[in-house]
Amino acid sequence: MSRPRSPLAPSPWQVGLTYLALGLASVFVLFPLYWLIITSFKLPVDVNSGPFYLPWVDFKPSLHAWEYVLGTLGPDVRRAYANTAVVALSSALLALFLGTSAAYALTRFQYRPRVGAIVLFIACLVLTVALVALGMPWLPAVGLGLAGLILGLQTLGRRFKKHLGNDEIALWLISNRILPPVVVVIPIYLLFQQLGLLDTRTALIISYTVINVPIAVWLMRDYFQNIPHDIEECAQIDGASRYRIFWTIVLPLAAPGLVATFLLLLVFAWNEYLLALFLSKANSQTMPLMVAAMSGTRGTEWWYMSVIIVLMILPVVILALVLERYIERGLIVGAVKG
Amino acid sequence: MIPNLAKWLVFLVLLSLPALAQSGRFQGVSINVLTFTGPQIAEPLRRHAAAFERATGAKVNVTVVPFSDLYQQILTDATTGTNSYDAWIFAPQWMADFAPAGIMEDLTARVRADNAIQWNDIAPFFREFSALYGGKILTIPLDGDFQMVYYRTDVLRQLGLQPPQTWDDYLNIAQRANGRDMNGDGRPDFGSCIAKKRNAQSYWMFMSILGGYVQTQGTRQGAFFDTRNMQPLVKNQAFAEALRVYKETTRFGPPDELNLDVGDTRGLFTSGRCALSIDWGDIGPLSIDPQTSRVKDLVGAVILPGSRRVLDRNTGNLVNCTAQLCPHAINGVNRAPYAAFGGWSGGINTKAAANKKDAAYALFSFMSQPAQSNKDVTIGITGFNPYRISQFRDIQTWVAAGFSEAGARNYLNAIQQSLNSPNMVLDLRIPKAQQYQQVVLDRVLSEYLAGQLTIPQAQEQIHNGWEEITNAEGRQKQLQAYLASLGITGR
Amino acid sequence: MKKPENQPSQAGLWVRLVGWLERNAATAFLLPTVLVILAFVLFPLVGSLYSSLARLSFRDGGLELSFVGLANYRKLLLGSEQGHFLGHPGTTAWVLWVLVFTAIALGVVMYRRWRAKRSLWVWLGQPLLGGLLLLAFTWLFLSRLLPGTRMGTLQTTLFYVIAGTTLQYLLGLGLALLCAERLPGTRFFRVLFILPLAITPIGVAYMFRMLTDTGKGPLVPLWEALGLGGFSWVNDPWGARLAVLIGDVWQWTPFAFIVLLAALQSIPQEQVEAAAVDGASRWQVFRHIIFPYLLPASATLVLIRLIEGFKIVDLPNILTNGGPGTATESITLHAYFAWRTLDIGTAAALGFLLMVLVSLVTSLYAAWVLPRARGQQ
Repeated sequence: MSRPRSPLAPSPWQVGLTYLALGLASVFVLFPLYWLIITSFKLPVDVNSGPFYLPWVDFKPSLHAWEYVLGTLGPDVRRAYANTAVVALSSALLALFLGTSAAYALTRFQYRPRVGAIVLFIACLVLTVALVALGMPWLPAVGLGLAGLILGLQTLGRRFKKHLGNDEIALWLISNRILPPVVVVIPIYLLFQQLGLLDTRTALIISYTVINVPIAVWLMRDYFQNIPHDIEECAQIDGASRYRIFWTIVLPLAAPGLVATFLLLLVFAWNEYLLALFLSKANSQTMPLMVAAMSGTRGTEWWYMSVIIVLMILPVVILALVLERYIERGLIVGAVKG
Repeated sequence: MIPNLAKWLVFLVLLSLPALAQSGRFQGVSINVLTFTGPQIAEPLRRHAAAFERATGAKVNVTVVPFSDLYQQILTDATTGTNSYDAWIFAPQWMADFAPAGIMEDLTARVRADNAIQWNDIAPFFREFSALYGGKILTIPLDGDFQMVYYRTDVLRQLGLQPPQTWDDYLNIAQRANGRDMNGDGRPDFGSCIAKKRNAQSYWMFMSILGGYVQTQGTRQGAFFDTRNMQPLVKNQAFAEALRVYKETTRFGPPDELNLDVGDTRGLFTSGRCALSIDWGDIGPLSIDPQTSRVKDLVGAVILPGSRRVLDRNTGNLVNCTAQLCPHAINGVNRAPYAAFGGWSGGINTKAAANKKDAAYALFSFMSQPAQSNKDVTIGITGFNPYRISQFRDIQTWVAAGFSEAGARNYLNAIQQSLNSPNMVLDLRIPKAQQYQQVVLDRVLSEYLAGQLTIPQAQEQIHNGWEEITNAEGRQKQLQAYLASLGITGR
Repeated sequence: MKKPENQPSQAGLWVRLVGWLERNAATAFLLPTVLVILAFVLFPLVGSLYSSLARLSFRDGGLELSFVGLANYRKLLLGSEQGHFLGHPGTTAWVLWVLVFTAIALGVVMYRRWRAKRSLWVWLGQPLLGGLLLLAFTWLFLSRLLPGTRMGTLQTTLFYVIAGTTLQYLLGLGLALLCAERLPGTRFFRVLFILPLAITPIGVAYMFRMLTDTGKGPLVPLWEALGLGGFSWVNDPWGARLAVLIGDVWQWTPFAFIVLLAALQSIPQEQVEAAAVDGASRWQVFRHIIFPYLLPASATLVLIRLIEGFKIVDLPNILTNGGPGTATESITLHAYFAWRTLDIGTAAALGFLLMVLVSLVTSLYAAWVLPRARGQQ
């Protein structure tokens, strides 16, 4: 005798529909990827003469594009690949570290920054930049700005009582993603140039970390909010330091969320194009730049481009496959229910 | 004993070979050259760089960026003091911004001392207008740019038509040819294929159409602004007519012509799908490429069509040509060939190290020398078009490349006629020319083609946009620069 | 515990340091992040603000940024770029009707709140603000959907954001619901639906360019079979916008899918089963049990997609170059085009206008939607 069916178990008809819907969605997702992969095996004449769908049936697959990219462009591709891998991994780890600490802090501590102090800080910053723009060398300008800040904090800062809270800090962090990179490009370019870091991986790592930390904060914050405080409070009573608690108790509990966030950060950094375009020339060229470089005025060379895109996707896909179980279990509300 | 000695001798000789090979002139020098993605320009650059490396020991690193990013990359790199590029291959039009910014090396002394480059073989026009700025030689010409109309000789013969003399002829031919199967594949083909993609190289095609309506008194009259007060020559009947013709050609073109770049239209033309096209000199050599062309020996070139009615600058109206108004008219038609773009040229960063500048100059000289250049201009994919007198004279190189003798004469004739025309239109070479053309003109043209603007609205927007830039830069300053670029000084 | 006496200063210093760190744990956790962001974001931001008030020119061997005040903003909002940025409204007769209707509705709301003796802000401030925003939204966005008007980059961006986020959320939710059912094989689908996120946006854009090519794309036989053979989506503004939208949805639905699936899988099954046993229909179970669990995740997800969506640039750039005309050009693309000719004043001004817009949307969202979504759980 079969198990009693749960009243919510779908009927065969509903199961069929479900599979149909999933099948359609899969076609929608897979077809562009399929087209991409077969284009990487097509000869130029096959691409330009109209759509050919099936290898060996409609067209003869050829390895010419792969040979060109891995052979002729081999050194460039390898360098771009290495750059992308190093930059993405480093910035993802760094952003994860910074973001997780900040997220943990925002859910466990109460911050009450004074509005007055913040306004004062911004005013001193604008003053410093204005002084530099008017020609003052930057060291005395910064000094003046700092002096103004400290003075102001002692006097004016105390007069405004209004406080902001954790939510505002979190909002401020995520709001750093609002400005499109193209607007801050020249200042960032000049900043890294002054630091002597143009066309280096370091510049890219720093930039990606800075732009991705807000995402890490927001995703992990939701996650930490759902981890109950009791365990930590017990440990605190026992005398453990907050850092130890964070490192040995909270992080392992949040492991699935960490992994999922890490994967997202990695993907964002791996695929970033605009900042890499501005900040790198030849040495620190990354894979997305190579993709764009395949597009010439003679008509885009789709076959080479497809090869490069496939090469780019492979590691991320493999990583996603491996970490798939963590991704779902971990992202927002998590495995702590058990 | 002797075999051992022999072995040692051989060993010593082998050891010394690298030292012998290391006697290149620029051994140990590494230069970074920037140009656009190509494969035009980039391919010959890489090829010649490899040969240059073998000959002199210099290491040449070629970096490419998409065409529309090139202007900004060069300027940002040089003016912020980053200087990662020692030399560039770019559009001499941009000298009007690069030179005031002080980033270009003065090459006059080097050119004077260089016999191999055969400077006087370069056609005078390119010597004086593409390489000279403020009396100094700032670039090495590698390419010569004129826009022309290409036509299918077989299709015109079937239709019983002559190559177009006016833009009305062009439209007529396009209309008659549209829909016929011109390459035998059973699909209807197109009367006219013109690149109209935004943010690419399309706005030059429009100026090619405009020139014949607007400039009649010779090159120094100019076609963009009034030489007395820098007012844009936009709000007049000639500009409106040019806009009308430009949009009309779309009716006889491929359905997604608005998204086609020059690479796409060239591909269409050489695979036999177009009866007419407006383009630089590339289609000529591309049409004889056995790998991609189906129209070998079926292509003719003619200088840009013109108009029998031209602009009266005092009234702004289109009036019929008279002997006084159109002194350079041919058979009653005012023709104004357009030296679009200028021709890719090599420039050197003035902040580069001295030995790098020398190496870069040597590289560009090498590329420009007739031995290399005359071969390059016969190969379509290099993107280099004829600019040296010897290239026009020496028909045999072209025939050897694959042209029929008649085809070569026809092609070179069209370019030479353009080059020697007294009414040739010069491209805009004033500060912020990029903004006048790429930001304002290109955008308004694409909105007009898409039906978002009417002709009067388009004229209004171009006029206002251009006036804004002129006012921001300083009207007198822009006027002086414009007059200087037209060759007039001290007016 | 007694300190060892033979290492007084070092151990003492270390203990003091650790003690200080422990007391200031709150600062230590948050400060590095805040400092990093401040250092690398604030300076460029202020620098950009200055360049939005300036004009770039080349003189005497270098760049020169000359202060021009609000000229760039004036050009974008009132001057020669106004049509490009804000589009063209059509006839304005209907505006009067909208005004009248809004005034009446506002009047009713204000009266009722005033009668209920609510505070000044609630009965006067909020309705006025709400009415103003509604009017602005109607004038700037909805009016451009009528025939005879033209959308500018502002409206196009809003279209991408609103339509895109909605579609991504709904599709992501649908897929997550389908995959959450414990049917065999859903694991395969779960992995599959993540894939589009793994491709660089530039790559996605080029891929869709290949797919939508009217000459040699794979969908050409399909179009011809449907009778749309001669239709070139490239030349039709809404066709082009739709193409960009489809590319955007294809790429970002997996993000919603991942987030919502995770949320779905954390819902305690007992509640669901209990409700079913009590006789609730599937729809009621979804609405009253499942959806509330999804709300916090949805709120975060929509916020992130809103902020990101306003910055869309790669797809319109590569698919259509902003065309036909400027029909698919987003604000960021508009800024990018200006920046390419080194008109950085205009680019920076556009960036800041975009920032104002997104801050407005985000603030409204944070004030109105977020607290409710989080409060519910």
